[in-house]
Amino acid sequence: MLRKLLIFATLTQGAFAAPVVEEAVPGLPAVKVQDLHYGDVLFHFYQHDHFDALVRLAAYRDQGRLAAHARDSELLRGGLYLSLGQHREAQQIFERMLADPSTPPPVRDKAWFYLGKVLYAAGLFEESERALRSSSGTLPAELDAERQLLLAQGLMYRQRYDQAIAELEGWQGPRLWLAYGQFNLGVALVRVGQKERGLALLDSVGQIVTEWPELIALRDKANLAIGYAHLQAGEPAAARAALDRVRLSGPQSSKALLGAGWADAAAKQYEAALLPWQELQGRDLLDAAVQESYLAVPYAYAELGAMAQAVDYYEKAIAEYDTERSRIGESIGAIRSGRLLAAALQAERDGREGWFGQLADVPDSPESRYLYHLLAGHEFQEGLKNYRALEAMSKNLSDWSDSLGAFTDMVETRQQAFRMRLPAADARLATVDVATINGRRDELHARLEAALAERDLEALATEEERGLLDTLAGVDAELARHPGDAAYEDAREKARLARGVLLWKLDSAWKVRSWQANRALRDLNAAVYDARTRETASSRAREGAPERNAALGVRVRNVSPRVVALAVRVDAAKSAQGHHLADIAIEELEAQRQRLDEYSVQARYALATIYDRATADAPSATSRGTTP
Amino acid sequence: MRYFLLSTFAAVAASMPAVAQDAAEPAAERSALDAEVQALRRDVVDLNRDLFMLEEDLLFPASTQIAVFVSMDIGTFFALDSVQVKVDDKEVANYLYTERELEALKRGGVHRIWLGNLKAGEHEVVAFFTGQGTHERDYRRGATLTVEKGVGAKYVELRISDRVRKLQPEFVVRVWE
Repeated sequence: MLRKLLIFATLTQGAFAAPVVEEAVPGLPAVKVQDLHYGDVLFHFYQHDHFDALVRLAAYRDQGRLAAHARDSELLRGGLYLSLGQHREAQQIFERMLADPSTPPPVRDKAWFYLGKVLYAAGLFEESERALRSSSGTLPAELDAERQLLLAQGLMYRQRYDQAIAELEGWQGPRLWLAYGQFNLGVALVRVGQKERGLALLDSVGQIVTEWPELIALRDKANLAIGYAHLQAGEPAAARAALDRVRLSGPQSSKALLGAGWADAAAKQYEAALLPWQELQGRDLLDAAVQESYLAVPYAYAELGAMAQAVDYYEKAIAEYDTERSRIGESIGAIRSGRLLAAALQAERDGREGWFGQLADVPDSPESRYLYHLLAGHEFQEGLKNYRALEAMSKNLSDWSDSLGAFTDMVETRQQAFRMRLPAADARLATVDVATINGRRDELHARLEAALAERDLEALATEEERGLLDTLAGVDAELARHPGDAAYEDAREKARLARGVLLWKLDSAWKVRSWQANRALRDLNAAVYDARTRETASSRAREGAPERNAALGVRVRNVSPRVVALAVRVDAAKSAQGHHLADIAIEELEAQRQRLDEYSVQARYALATIYDRATADAPSATSRGTTP
Repeated sequence: MRYFLLSTFAAVAASMPAVAQDAAEPAAERSALDAEVQALRRDVVDLNRDLFMLEEDLLFPASTQIAVFVSMDIGTFFALDSVQVKVDDKEVANYLYTERELEALKRGGVHRIWLGNLKAGEHEVVAFFTGQGTHERDYRRGATLTVEKGVGAKYVELRISDRVRKLQPEFVVRVWE
């Protein structure tokens, strides 16, 4: 009977192991980003800020900023929903991608994989297996390894150990995954009765040399399983060897110490058994192994014939059980008054990363004393996760509520400012006639073109030269009134000479001036273009601004009631979740108190038995004591 | 006595947590409360998406919007500490990176270091990268770009990459439309 219980306990259905992917697998391949906004989503995703990543992804998608990563981003969206525990949304996304015939095989394979993961998490193992088997072999090595393990674990949950063995036997994967695969294969083999092969595999996991915390934890689990299996098979030496490999400070250490004591006791080494059992006595009394040790120590003393110490230790056990029961009573009172959640959240804030591991150091107050123990329970952990999510949502909504107030003010201020500035802006706009400027620019352009075509030297004359040309024209007109008059001959010659000099100067400067004129015209073109653009932008802004402001005002007004309504729902859910957590905690602590009651009764019974036998043996002063 | 001890031992063994309890254990039936938390989370994500877009439209309309992003490839020759961004000689961002953020950058994440507004026309964007170059030498480099801001949103990428041939980091400023 004991053997069956042990096997069941150590290699039970829930004993399969899978690593925590994101934390455990460093150096996932870098992504070549083709849309900056997709990179922004990844920046948050890689920091495990999944909520923010999802919000940005959804917003950028709606804004059409993820065109180059349409499929990747959809896959990521599904993955983010999955990581937030939103299985239905994740499933819908993956199914939609798979229904699209244009989805390329690598993306399709990933979608199958994630869909399989969603279905697995929902406990739909048949459907999960179908999805996981649909991958066509293009998955990256890490994902493929996880796929293989999920397949095997799904089979093991359905007690199809032979199939799980077939999946895992001979399978090769990355080191971390391989270790988990071997662990699970070992468990499956033991479950089908191939104990030796199973234990040999678990032994190989139990002797892994690694610095990787997750593998060290797996190694401890494997050694504990091997130890208890050998213990149950009546092989105390082998059990001791495996249990000695479990770390003294890890989460499995109490069970390993208890088992080590039992291994020594099974070998009739009661003094040796006292060592690990007494080590347990300074530990948390809510730990089943510690509770057991309080009965095991006096049992060993009794076996050694040291009845006085046995009595002392049974009395100590009774006192410890009673103290602990009363401490549990205090804690239940504190939890009922609602102080547990504050303590849990405070511990989280203090711990930040790896906060669960640090909870062993939480303050010894009634509300926080048993947090570590409670958090070891899956249901409490899940409940607390929900509570924390609700707390985060509540804060998020409160922040947005404040922002929306500012948004409303902003929209109103803009509308008011627009109304105030409009007349002045209109007046200024009215003074600018870009069309006329445009016309003048066109006329100038035409004149320059004509001058250049006809090499009209005078067209590019300076103001001074133009004055001289006008003077010469006046002189020529005066001379024309005296044709053939010899008295004007000298003047006529001078005028001809002056014109010749002026035209020569104009001709020499022609090349430079025509280049300058062209350049000035180009600058003018640019200036006119700018003016036109600004005029268009100004009138567009002027015309569209009231509508845009009004539309923003409507959006702010429409979204406000959504924030309020959600905040009400979140508060209600938070309160319900808080009560639910308190119920779980109280139920667990009540069960512990009852168990301590039972232990206490058993210790009293053992004590009474010793006294009875002592009384019965009283005439014989050399009696050795009880034979339990 | 022996019977009592053995039964206690068995009880301890049976109550021992599953050996690999932290394995991905499938969720059992979800309670109504779980379902409500799920529904709330979805609604809050949707609401946040709408508010995110509303905030951007309100504070940084496309006509004036400019965003500056920092990206990095392998980063072998440069360990980034901080980036300072100046626009038209005015500091608009000065960001000190954490290890976690640097890891996100190396894996392909892109950090939107500044989102702001600029009027149409030419603007000068200057970025200063501070960190450690090869041989753990302190390193500060600048990169400049003149940006022509039109009517649409403008995105500027500050990219840190490895110039393998010269065993040097390279700082590139690029404009995306």
